[in-house]
Amino acid sequence: MNDIVWLTMRRMRTPLIALILVYSLSVFGMVLIPGQDEAGNAVRVNYLDASYFVAILSTTIGFGEMPVTFTHAQRLYAFIILFPNVIAWLYSIGTIISLFVDPQFRTVLHVSRFRRRVRRMNQPYFIVCGFGNTGRMIAQGLLNRGISAAVLEREPRIVQGMALDEEFAHLPALEGDVTDRRLLELAGLQAGLPNCVGVMAITNDDHANLTIAITSKLIRPDLPVLARAETQRVADNMASFGTDLTVDPYSIFAERFYLALRSPTKYLVQDWLISVPGTRLRTELDPPDGHWVLAGLGRFGLRMARIFDKAGVDYTVIDVHPDRVEQRAGSILGRGTEAHTLSEASIENAAGIIAGTGDDMDNLSIVMTALELNPRLFVVARQENPHNDELFNASGAHLVARRSLIVARRILAVATTPLLPVFLDHLLSQNESFAHTVEKRLEAILDGRSPGLWTVELTGEWATSLHDADREKVRIRMEHLTCNARTESLEHLPCVCLVLERGSQRLFLPGAKQELHEGDRLLFAGRGSAQREMLFALREPTALISVAAGRHYPRGAIMRAVARRRAS
Amino acid sequence: MNFEKVVFGFFIVLALTLNFGFFVGDIDNPAHHDAMELGAALAVSLIATVIKFGDRSQMGAVLLATSLVADLQLLVAAFVWAYAAYATDAGVTTEVLASIVSLSGGAVLANLVSVTLLVAETITIRR
Repeated sequence: MNDIVWLTMRRMRTPLIALILVYSLSVFGMVLIPGQDEAGNAVRVNYLDASYFVAILSTTIGFGEMPVTFTHAQRLYAFIILFPNVIAWLYSIGTIISLFVDPQFRTVLHVSRFRRRVRRMNQPYFIVCGFGNTGRMIAQGLLNRGISAAVLEREPRIVQGMALDEEFAHLPALEGDVTDRRLLELAGLQAGLPNCVGVMAITNDDHANLTIAITSKLIRPDLPVLARAETQRVADNMASFGTDLTVDPYSIFAERFYLALRSPTKYLVQDWLISVPGTRLRTELDPPDGHWVLAGLGRFGLRMARIFDKAGVDYTVIDVHPDRVEQRAGSILGRGTEAHTLSEASIENAAGIIAGTGDDMDNLSIVMTALELNPRLFVVARQENPHNDELFNASGAHLVARRSLIVARRILAVATTPLLPVFLDHLLSQNESFAHTVEKRLEAILDGRSPGLWTVELTGEWATSLHDADREKVRIRMEHLTCNARTESLEHLPCVCLVLERGSQRLFLPGAKQELHEGDRLLFAGRGSAQREMLFALREPTALISVAAGRHYPRGAIMRAVARRRAS
Repeated sequence: MNFEKVVFGFFIVLALTLNFGFFVGDIDNPAHHDAMELGAALAVSLIATVIKFGDRSQMGAVLLATSLVADLQLLVAAFVWAYAAYATDAGVTTEVLASIVSLSGGAVLANLVSVTLLVAETITIRR
C-alpha cells in the first residue's frame, strides 16, 4: 500500500506544482481585476467566487460568468488564464492516467493486492511456484480437498489467464521471478502467515526449482518443500539439504514399469491407490517378456534402459545421436519413425516397443509404424504436451508416460495424504503375499472404480468420542470405526485401513480388533460413501460408543443420568 | 429399542397435540380455547426442552432450538392471558384472545418442525 502512495506522489510532484501555481496565480489576478455590478458600482470579485470561477473554467465545465456579468477587462483576463489552466489540468490528468498504465505501477499494484489476499487466506494453503499444466492439475486437486494455493508464475500470460478462469480466479497469483526471495516471502515464507503449509517447486526449470527449494529451506526450515527435479544431479542436490520430496517423473515411470515387469500385483495395487478416485480400475497389465525396442535414448529412454538392464530384459536402442549409438553396441542410428530402422531393430520379432523421443509427433509416428509392422506389440509411449492426450489415447499405446500428470499425482498424494507414500514404500519392501492381501481386500470393497483416500486424525473434536468412551470404560476398536453406525446389522463400510500411525510406530493393514487411541493417524482407502459415514459417526457424540458397547447411549443429560441410575 | 427416543418422541408429540387442541376453533371464541389446555401444552413443551439439554449432536442442537421457540411462544401467550385476566379491567376480550391463539399457532408450527426433524432423523438411522 505504501509503495502505491509513494509512487503516485513522486510521479505527481511536477504536475501538481504546476497546477497549484497556475491556479493560485489565476485566482489572485481574478480578485485584483475590478468589475461592475448591475448598478454600475465598481466591485471586486471575492476569493470564494474567484476560486469557484477559475476551478470551473480550468476543468472546462464553464457555468458562465459570476457572480455578475463580467466587464471587458475581466473577460480579457479570463481569456488569458483559460489556456494555461486547461493545459495544467490536462497535464495532471494525463500523468495520472499514464501512471495507471505504467508497468512499474501495475507491478506495485499487483504485489500489494497479492500480499493482501495472502494475508486474508483463512484456510491452509501451499505456495505453488509455476502454474503450467502440472501446477494447474495440482491446484485443482488441492482445491478439491479444501486446501488453497498461492501461485507464483513467471509467464504474465498465464497469470492473466488465471484471473479469467472461474476455477482459479480467487487464488492469489503473482507474476514475476519465482526464484526471487522477496516473492517467496510475500507468498508465505515470512513469519505471521501460519496457514502456509508448504512449498511446491514445480516449474519446468530444474535450476529454478533448486533455488526455490534452497531459499525456502533457509528461511523456513520447518515448511515442507515438494520439488520437481528431472535430472538425478539436481534431485540429489535437493535431497542433500532436506527437501522433503523430489519428483523425477521419468524415474517414477521407469520404476513403475519395472514393477509392472517383475511384480504385477504390486504395480496394480499402487496404480489403484494413486489414480484419480472414481476412475475405472486398471486390470492386470502384463508387459510381455522378450525382445524390446527402445526408440530415443534421452532422459526418458536412459531410465527405461536402466530398468531393462536391472530386469535383465533384452533390448535394442534406436537413436538419432551418433554418440549415443556408439556407446552401446548393437544400437541403430535413426529416428525410429521409418519402417526400415524399426525392421533393422527386428521389430517383427519384438515383444514391445518404447517410443521415448522428446517429440510427441515422432513418438506417435513410431507407435503407428511399429504397430503396422507388428500388431501384437506392447506399446509404451512418452507424451510431452498435455494437449495431445486424445492423440495418444487413439494411438493404441498400452502405457503412456505423461510427465505433468505423473508429477501432479505424486505431489498431490504426498501433500494431501502424507501417509500414502509411507504405505507405498512398505508395499514395495514387502513380498508378493502382502501385495496379494491388499489387492484382495481392496477388490472386495471396490466396485470397479479406484478408491478415494482419506486420513483420520484422532485429535481435537475428532477425538471426543474416544474421550467419552474412556469415561464410560468402553474400548473403541477399528471394527467400530469401519462399520456403518446407522444400521441395525452394523454392516461393514466399503473401506480398508491401510496404515495406523501412533507416534513413531506404524501398523500396516491393522486388524479389526485394533484398539484406537487419541492422537492416532489412520489412512483409509474406500468408497466415498464410506468416508461420509465414517466422518459422520466420528462427529456424532454417541454413535461410536453405542456401536462399541452394543447398546444405545442417551444423548441428553437427563436421560444419561436416568440410564446411569438404572445401571447401578 | 431406544428408550431415549421413546421418551423424547412422546413429549414432543404430546406438546404438538395439546397445542393443536388449544389452537383449533374460531380465533376469538372463548368457548373454543381452554386455559388448562394452554397450561398443559406449555408444561409438556418445557419438559421436551429440558430432555434435550446436554445433547452435543447436530440434530440435538436443532431440536433444542425449535423447542425453545415453541416454549417462548407459549410463555408469551400464557403471560398475555394472565395479564389480561388479572391486571386489566376489561379482562380477556376477543382481541386479547385472538392474539393469544395466534401466538399458540406459532408454537404449533415450531412443534411441527421438531416432529418433522425427529421423523427425518429416525428414517436415516436404521437401527
